[in-house]
Amino acid sequence: MASAIQTSCVECVSRSDRLFCDLPADALEAFNRIKTVSPHPRGNVLFREATPARGIYLLCEGKARLSVCSESGKRLTLRIAGPGEVLGISAALSGTPYEVTAETLEDSQVAFVKRKDLLQFLHDYREACLQVVHLLSEDLHVAYDRVRAVGLGRTRHPRVVHVN
Amino acid sequence: MRADRIFCDLPASALQAFETIKYATAYPKGAVLFVEGQAPRGIFVLCKGRVKLSICASDGKTLILKIAEPGEVLGLSATVSGKPYELTAETIDPCQVNFVKREDFLRFLRDHSEACFKVAEQLSEKYNNACHEVRSLGLSHSAAEKLAKLLLEWSSKNGEAAKQEPRLKLALTHEEIAQMIGTSRETVTRLFADLKKRQIVQAKGSTLVIRNKSALRVLASNG
Repeated sequence: MASAIQTSCVECVSRSDRLFCDLPADALEAFNRIKTVSPHPRGNVLFREATPARGIYLLCEGKARLSVCSESGKRLTLRIAGPGEVLGISAALSGTPYEVTAETLEDSQVAFVKRKDLLQFLHDYREACLQVVHLLSEDLHVAYDRVRAVGLGRTRHPRVVHVN
Repeated sequence: MRADRIFCDLPASALQAFETIKYATAYPKGAVLFVEGQAPRGIFVLCKGRVKLSICASDGKTLILKIAEPGEVLGLSATVSGKPYELTAETIDPCQVNFVKREDFLRFLRDHSEACFKVAEQLSEKYNNACHEVRSLGLSHSAAEKLAKLLLEWSSKNGEAAKQEPRLKLALTHEEIAQMIGTSRETVTRLFADLKKRQIVQAKGSTLVIRNKSALRVLASNG
């Protein structure tokens, strides 16, 4: 990895085309204060399914695989998350264990926010809370797609049209 | 009549705002609230009764995702994102529902951050449930395993879990149970007969008694 770690949200050039990161200035600064950024090499497990949710992980750079596992160790991929995506929100929000395991697929830069700090942040910044609602809806759509695929052996109904 | 629990402990201003945007409606059993693939009109807050949520393939094969209970907000992800409803919602009891139009709901969320937070919580719960389904459907090997898991799940819901011999009321037909676990009605009927023969469960009318919890647990974990 040659480039220096981008640690400031305020100066980040990728910010504007990432849903979560496109926050008003005051919220952005607050978020900047509560996050810690670290590099994660390929193959690192960010969090494991069924462990208590410590916080959220924002993929500043890199990719991660989200999967679920059976008791016998068989693994099923839910989806591949890319840069700008926030992982673990649902668990961190509701205080339940992580539903999936997240593992980096390439060398990544990840911003971590503790659960406690996230909840306070969402209460303080209305815009951020709304962003999270949108993000969760997207996560849910993907999860339903996987349910459809494994349960019915096919992808989204062909007549369905995306309305954005 | 039970109030909309999700929006119950909000500040007075938010509750008042919600009152002005909701339409309280009664539906009989077997009514369809919305169909998978339809453009989202708004959310349906389930106040009373239960609703069957399912996904359908073009050949008619149906998968029941879950049975929604009072307090659940239906059509939530679609209403927020603007994408079509993901599921078909059909009442299995007479129901009381509060409908909120999409624009009104989105405005309500923008104006009331506490409500926004509650919605985020409910979306999280649905996500958790969907992941659970993916694991269950994608990783369980046999229908017997999935049925055992389902019975254990149901018996843990209505506070029966601690009992030596939990009871559960079968709200669904064998056909509907088959649609929940992705198998055929014949297989479900056969599996129930088998469970009864082995005295793992016992049927008393529409109530099922789990006689042998540990045997059922063994069946549920053969993965």
